[in-house]
Amino acid sequence: MSQHHHTEDNIQHLYEGDQSKLYSGVMQHHTDINSAESKKQVGRIWKVFWILLAVTVVEVLLGMYFSYSIPKGILNTLFLVLTLFKAGYIVAVFMHLGDEVKSFLITVLIPLTLFIWFIIAFLADGGFWLHMNSTAPMR
Amino acid sequence: MAHSATAAAETKVWGGGRSPFNVSYGKMMMWFFLLSDAFTFGAFLISYGTTRFFSAVWPDPNHVFHAFPFMGHANLPLLFVSLMTFILIMSSVTMVLAVHAGHYGDRQGVIKWLLWTIIGGIAFLSCQAWEWTHLHHQGAWWGSFTDANAPLESIKGFFNMNDAKVAAALPGHGMQATHDFYNYFFTITGFHGGHVASGVVFLIMVLINTVNGTYDRRGHYEMVEKIGLYWHFVDLVWVFVFTCFYLL
Repeated sequence: MSQHHHTEDNIQHLYEGDQSKLYSGVMQHHTDINSAESKKQVGRIWKVFWILLAVTVVEVLLGMYFSYSIPKGILNTLFLVLTLFKAGYIVAVFMHLGDEVKSFLITVLIPLTLFIWFIIAFLADGGFWLHMNSTAPMR
Repeated sequence: MAHSATAAAETKVWGGGRSPFNVSYGKMMMWFFLLSDAFTFGAFLISYGTTRFFSAVWPDPNHVFHAFPFMGHANLPLLFVSLMTFILIMSSVTMVLAVHAGHYGDRQGVIKWLLWTIIGGIAFLSCQAWEWTHLHHQGAWWGSFTDANAPLESIKGFFNMNDAKVAAALPGHGMQATHDFYNYFFTITGFHGGHVASGVVFLIMVLINTVNGTYDRRGHYEMVEKIGLYWHFVDLVWVFVFTCFYLL
């Protein structure tokens, strides 16, 4: 609770200097853990937990009971959508990226769009290799 | 008019004297490290996908992962990995609660939630150790299943033999597919497990600092926030590993 209490041997500068004047983001200094604002935030964390748990249970049930009845293409699309849904919640709420300024959010997310091309290119290449290999007259 | 107002605001944001991203140097660098790590894991998973796409058959997760500790030969597909996923999600929640307590300078809260997170991490690693041991007993390891002349019986159990196409392709391609599958499985879950293990070590270091009052003297608990980013990233990677190996 003695967060603002600075002793004589202040060692802060040894680590990263006093950066508190440079930014005021998520690390704002709050004081009362039992305040309504704090409780609201904790409620939000638990809400995300239940969402993640529910989505995982749905995924496992689909994998256990419907792997052979639902067409593979539909099932896999569903799995990928649910996975991205979970990833979004983890990044936005647990990692607080949703609370950062927009320019920082964009800086982090734009490089990841390279994955769209990586996935398409490599999987297409793998599929083509199989096609060539299994249609060739001789091996 | 509107244009010049925007220009003035831009100058102010990037004009120095404060962080344009409103974030500390350490936290920003943690994000950039995680970005690079995302590409490493992404490259692993995409090469796994590529190999799978050029294989005529592939092991079926419902047949590979069906055991549970102390349950003998009971067929419980995906149940154990669900437990591992639950443990990791849970430890992510306790981690974010530690970060939250840190925002409020609540040292006892940080200590409590860090301890739970460490326990969760160790529990996850123990589960992984059990799963690896179990698969190893079935003959799986890096570089295993290389003998094309070995009887089909040795790999049949990993495949969905009810599918006529799979059963037909198995004699020609089954051994190579099993070999590839386990190389990727142990490499990727191992690399992830390595991240969890080093995460546990970092968490213990942060816990010791918290107990010693280092962050109280420093005036903020940003270190907890940074290790939190790392821990959530490890959870995030597991979400994708879980999908790629156990669901798809």
